[in-house]
Amino acid sequence: MEELSCHILDLARNSLEAGATGLEITITENPEENLLEFQVRDNGRGIDEKDIPRLMDPFFTTKQCKKVGLGIPLLLHAIKTCGGTLKIKPLPEKGTEVTACFPYHHLDRAPLGDLPGTLSVLLTAENYVDLLYRHKYKQDTFIFDTKELRSQLGEVPLKNPVVLTWLQNYLNNELNNLRGGKTIENVGRTGQFTGKTSGRHENPRKK
Amino acid sequence: MKTLEELDSLREKLQADMKIREKNNNITVNVSMGTCGIAAGARETMKVLIEEISKQNLKDITLTQTGCTGSCQHEPLVEIKKGADKVTYIKVDRKKAREIVRRHLMEGKVVKEWTILD
Repeated sequence: MEELSCHILDLARNSLEAGATGLEITITENPEENLLEFQVRDNGRGIDEKDIPRLMDPFFTTKQCKKVGLGIPLLLHAIKTCGGTLKIKPLPEKGTEVTACFPYHHLDRAPLGDLPGTLSVLLTAENYVDLLYRHKYKQDTFIFDTKELRSQLGEVPLKNPVVLTWLQNYLNNELNNLRGGKTIENVGRTGQFTGKTSGRHENPRKK
Repeated sequence: MKTLEELDSLREKLQADMKIREKNNNITVNVSMGTCGIAAGARETMKVLIEEISKQNLKDITLTQTGCTGSCQHEPLVEIKKGADKVTYIKVDRKKAREIVRRHLMEGKVVKEWTILD
């Protein structure tokens, strides 16, 4: 996985497969404190406390149909290469919370990547899920809630491709505004940075 | 289109669309979105499908996703179902995804060389 946003999509898929109907994704970017954190919380069937250490093992999975589970080991790899931390805990009511912290300025930290892509693609899932997305950048926060969007859409389904295309543009725009006109850092599949985040290139990429 | 106000006009248009069209030849496009799929680029594949289907204004197409289907070596996988017919495309990158929309979804021709037999 080249981008942290792919890991977020993967974690959210885990949540959906665990029967979640509610999903909260929170991103915290705090360059001044050298912190980048993302958290995925769900109300799925939860996790057994004793299974948590075993999640790091690629040959552990709770699924009957396969022998490997690579999601968490791959995330852990992305975390370990830059000295970050991972916390997985069952929530008291129901569900699971996964929190990954990264040193913001570490050279080996994977870029955050295409978050609008992750969110719009996630919403094509079969499950009906209420998604609450919070993105904090320095002092400001952007919130996106599918409940509000669904009530605005009325009978038009959220997963209509026309709506998802709109959503993709809307999120791109809002997140760029939040980050003061800087595009979200991302990386192409060739490994080249396409976003500009350092102070040396102040002009946001025009689309 | 970027703002919430624009969504309102979009909704009106789509609602009107929903009233006219008949639900008789619904096609389901399914992308595998397990860890293996995501690592192989399934998110980009799905993004292209969303963009192209919306750009070409294709109706009666349902996008959906599943987890790992066990053919990890062939990811990203795209399965297209119409009634009892099912076609699975393998290693679908952005370019192939665009072609699949054009040739399969719009012209109704299966691109055989990119499929595996089920």
